[in-house]
Amino acid sequence: MIDPNEGDVRFENEGSLEPLPVVRERTVVMRAVGLTKIYSTVSGKAGSGAAALELFRGLDLKVHAGEMVAIVGESGAGKSSLLHLLAALDVPTAGEVWCGESRLSGLTPKQAADFRNRDVGYVWQFHYLLPEFTAAENVAMPLLARGMERAAALEKAAYWLGQVGLADRTANRSGELSGGEQQRVSLARALVTEPKILLADEPTGDLDGKTADAVFGLIQRLHEAHGLTSVLVTHNLEFAERCNRVLKLREGRLVDARTSPTEAGRV
Amino acid sequence: MRFEFFIAARYLRAKRRQAVVGVITAISVIGVAAGVASLIIALAITNGMRRDLQERLVGSTSHVDLMKIAGDGIRDWRPLLERLRKVPHVVAAAPGLYGQVLISHGARSGGGLIKGVIPRDEKTVGDLLQSVKQGSAAELEPFDSTSGSAAMHAVPPIVIGQDMAETIGVKIGDGVLVTSPQGALTPFGVVPRYQKFQVVGIFKSGFYQYDSSYAFTRLKDAQSLFSEPDLISVISFKVDDLYHADRVGRVIEAEAGKGFQTTNWMEQNRELFRALKLEQIVTFIVLALIVCVAALNILIALTMMVMEKTRDIAVLMSFGVRAEQVRRIFLLQGFLISVIGTVLGLILGYGLSWVGGHYPFPLDAAIYSIDHLPFAPRIWDGVIVAAVSLGVSLIATLYPSGSAAKVLPAEALRYE
Repeated sequence: MIDPNEGDVRFENEGSLEPLPVVRERTVVMRAVGLTKIYSTVSGKAGSGAAALELFRGLDLKVHAGEMVAIVGESGAGKSSLLHLLAALDVPTAGEVWCGESRLSGLTPKQAADFRNRDVGYVWQFHYLLPEFTAAENVAMPLLARGMERAAALEKAAYWLGQVGLADRTANRSGELSGGEQQRVSLARALVTEPKILLADEPTGDLDGKTADAVFGLIQRLHEAHGLTSVLVTHNLEFAERCNRVLKLREGRLVDARTSPTEAGRV
Repeated sequence: MRFEFFIAARYLRAKRRQAVVGVITAISVIGVAAGVASLIIALAITNGMRRDLQERLVGSTSHVDLMKIAGDGIRDWRPLLERLRKVPHVVAAAPGLYGQVLISHGARSGGGLIKGVIPRDEKTVGDLLQSVKQGSAAELEPFDSTSGSAAMHAVPPIVIGQDMAETIGVKIGDGVLVTSPQGALTPFGVVPRYQKFQVVGIFKSGFYQYDSSYAFTRLKDAQSLFSEPDLISVISFKVDDLYHADRVGRVIEAEAGKGFQTTNWMEQNRELFRALKLEQIVTFIVLALIVCVAALNILIALTMMVMEKTRDIAVLMSFGVRAEQVRRIFLLQGFLISVIGTVLGLILGYGLSWVGGHYPFPLDAAIYSIDHLPFAPRIWDGVIVAAVSLGVSLIATLYPSGSAAKVLPAEALRYE
C-alpha cells in the first residue's frame, strides 16, 4: 500500500530513454484509497450461475501535480478498469477516489459528468472520434457540451489542434485522417478543457511503432509544455520508462516497478 | 439545447453506417408527411362537404321561424311582420302558411307539405323558389294587369319539387289535386277539402327532403285550401349572421310577445350536422393511424440509431455529456424527423387542397348531389394535425432516447 504521506521523488533520470525529470511537487491531484472492484459475471456454462471477478482489492494510488505516471501490467489485470474509476466512468465496489477535494464516489451522475467535462481529459486506445464531425468540431465537443459559444469553442479547438501539429486539418473528418492523426485529434480533445489530469488508456496501442513513438513523444512534450498531470496505461515498457513513475498492477495491487525489490528489472 | 440540436441535426444528415437506418428514417419522414397530408386533405374535403351542405341548406330555408306555441296560426300578422322586420340583425322576413297535404295526379299521389307564400317575400328568406329548373316561379306572382306578365290562372298555380313531380308523374302545365286532411264538418262526417292546382314550376334544391315533399303556392290560395282566410302559420326570417340565429331568434321571440316561439336552422338540422361532425372525427381518427404507423417507424429508426451510436454515446459521456443531454439529442432527432415530415405533409396537404379548390375534381351530380369535390382547408385543422403528429412522434422517441441516456460508457467501450 502506498503511504498517504509519500509523494516525492520516484526515480532519477537514467539511461537513454530520457525519462522525465524527478517531480518534487507534493500537491496530490488524484488519490485512490482502498479501491476494490469486483465484477459480477455470468458463466456461459448452464447452471453455473453468477460468479464474481475481482480485479483489485484495497488498491491505493496517489498522483501528484506535474507527474506522468505509467501503469503497466498484464492484459486483464484491470488497468483500464482502474482508469475508468479514476475518470468517474465507473464506480468502485469499495474504496474511494478523490480528485483534489472532490470525492468521486459521492458524486451524482450529473456531477460526475461535470467532473469528466472539467477535470479529466481521457484518451482511449482507439481514437473514438465522431465520424460525422470535423476534427475541430470533435475537439470542441467537450466545450460545446458545457455550453460554450461555438465560435469560441472552435477557436480553442484550433489552438489545441495546432498544439498537436494538426493546425491544417481542422476541417477534415476523422475518415480523412491517418491513424496517428486521429489519435492526435483525440489527444487535443482530451486537453481542450485544460483538465486537472490526463488519463490515457494505451494511447499508442492501436498504432504502428513509428507512429506510436511520435504520439507518445507528443504526449510527453505537451505534458512538459503545459505542466500536465498524467496517468498512462501502457503495454510499451519503453514508453513507461520515459515517465516519472512506473506502477505495475499485479495481483490487484499497484507496486512501484522501479523501487520495489521484487519488481526491479521486471517492468 | 444548442449542443443537443447541433449533434441531432448532424446525426440526421450524416450518412449511416447501417444503410437500413437511413432507409427507415426516410420512410419515417415520408410516413409522417403522408399521414399529415392525408389528414389535411380529408379534413378539407369533409369541411368542404359540410360547408357546401350548410350553404345550400341554409340558403334553401330561413334562418329563424316564428310560430304560435299553440299552433293555431297567426292572425292580424301584417303589423307584427312590419314590426319584426325592424328587429336588429333581421335582414328579411316573409309570411307563410304550412299544411300537410296529399298531392294526386291520376292514380298516383304523394304526401307533402304545401306552403302558401308571397313569392316576393319568400325569395328573400329562402332559395327554393329560385331553384326552379322547369317552368317558372314567376307564375306564383299576383296578376299584374298593367304588364300582364304573370299568367292569370283560372286554376291556382303550384310549384313542386322534382322528386315529388317524378313520384306522381307530372310535368309543367299538368293539373294536380291537392287534398287537405283538415276537412269540413258535414252531415256526412268530416269531408276532406281538395282543390285543383296547375303545376307551373318544378324546383330542384339537391335536398331530397325538400325535393320530395315541398310544394309552394300563393298565400291566398293556401288560405283558401285550408279555409283559413288571412291566417298564416309562420313568419320566416333571414338574419345577417347565420351563426347568431339563436340569439336573434330570442330577440324576435321577445319582440313578438307572449304565445310565440322560434326555431332556427341549427335546431332544425342538429342531427344532420352532428352526424357530419361525427364523420369528421371518425375520419380524423382513422387517418391519424397513418401518423401512428409513421411514429412507429420513428421508434424503429431511433432505436436502431441508438444501437448504432452506442459507442459514440459512450464517448460523448466520457467527456462529460450528461445523460439528460444524450436523451435530448435523440428526442430532438425524432422531433426533427417529425417536424420535417409534418412540414412536408402540411405543404403537400394544403397544396393539393388548393389545387383541388382551383381545379375542381368532377363528381357525378346524380349520385353525389354535387358536381365537384369541394375543398375547404382550414388553418385550425393544420394546427391540430401538426400538434397530433408532433405529439405522437414525441411519444415514439421516449423509449429510444431513454435507452440512449442509460448507456454506461465504461461498459459500452469495454467490449469495443
